[in-house]
Amino acid sequence: MKTFEEKWTAWIDGQLTGHDLAEFEASLPDLAAAEAEKREAQTLGAFLKEHLPCRAMGNEEFFSHQLREKIASDTAVPTSQSADGGRVWWPIGRLVWVGATALALFSAVTFFVVREKPATDQSQYLSQILNARVDPVVSPNATITMFESKEDKVTVLWTEGLRSLPSEYASK
Amino acid sequence: MQRRSVLLLGLWLALIFGGVQARGSETVWSGLVIANNAPKPEPVSSELTYLEETLKDWFGYNQYKVIGQSQKVLVTGSEDWLAQSKYFSLHIDSKEGNDKTGYRVKLKLFQESNLLLEWEAKLSKGRPIIVKGPQVGDGQLLLLLVVQ
Repeated sequence: MKTFEEKWTAWIDGQLTGHDLAEFEASLPDLAAAEAEKREAQTLGAFLKEHLPCRAMGNEEFFSHQLREKIASDTAVPTSQSADGGRVWWPIGRLVWVGATALALFSAVTFFVVREKPATDQSQYLSQILNARVDPVVSPNATITMFESKEDKVTVLWTEGLRSLPSEYASK
Repeated sequence: MQRRSVLLLGLWLALIFGGVQARGSETVWSGLVIANNAPKPEPVSSELTYLEETLKDWFGYNQYKVIGQSQKVLVTGSEDWLAQSKYFSLHIDSKEGNDKTGYRVKLKLFQESNLLLEWEAKLSKGRPIIVKGPQVGDGQLLLLLVVQ
């Protein structure tokens, strides 16, 4: 069921015919005034068509492309395939290789870090003298004392009474 | 693909065994040193630099000259070697029973063929053992051992 406004617009555009036209014109309270208004509307329409032509689109190809892309992305179903048909996720083989390479790099870095520990790396334990003795025949009066110096971080075996030797024994 | 697998495997093996080797082998420096007082003392050799002050504190001399030395890389931990000068020799025998606290070594100091002193020790890394030996002329023979 068309409203009066729809029938009025169709009548002005000349699209009402036959029974509809007769029925609509019969329903108008003042047909002459309506005819005058119809003529004015048609004159105005012709005037606008003549003086306000449609602007030609300079980049219609680009505009169409953008529009198609937008429609495609809006209607795309999320899958493992990208829009151009390529695979989005890496294949298992490549993932394995990337993982193996990462592990190898990690091992290499760890190796060099462990290797390049500072030269001052020291045990937390002092060296120990477990036992010591001198030849009682060669040095019968010799004595032995052991020291562990935590301050100097050295262990010293101190002997006294060993037989003295001449200075030529100091040669290389 | 197969070539890359072999390369990667080789790299890993090299890293693993290289790491084991780097951790497993340590060097023992052993030296025969003559300490004495000199009007113009010579600078100590590089092996003694970090011990110079300790030696001066303990023995009071101003000059420390290395007259014999050796460096031994311990691989199996059961090795023996010698540091010697013209008249002295220090025989070092690394024994079984090494653990994380150090290397167990048996040492003998000879003056030519005479055994002067023998002792057994447990050497810890970076913790030197200093032995005061016999008087030699106006100086003193010292024996040094350190795991570097």
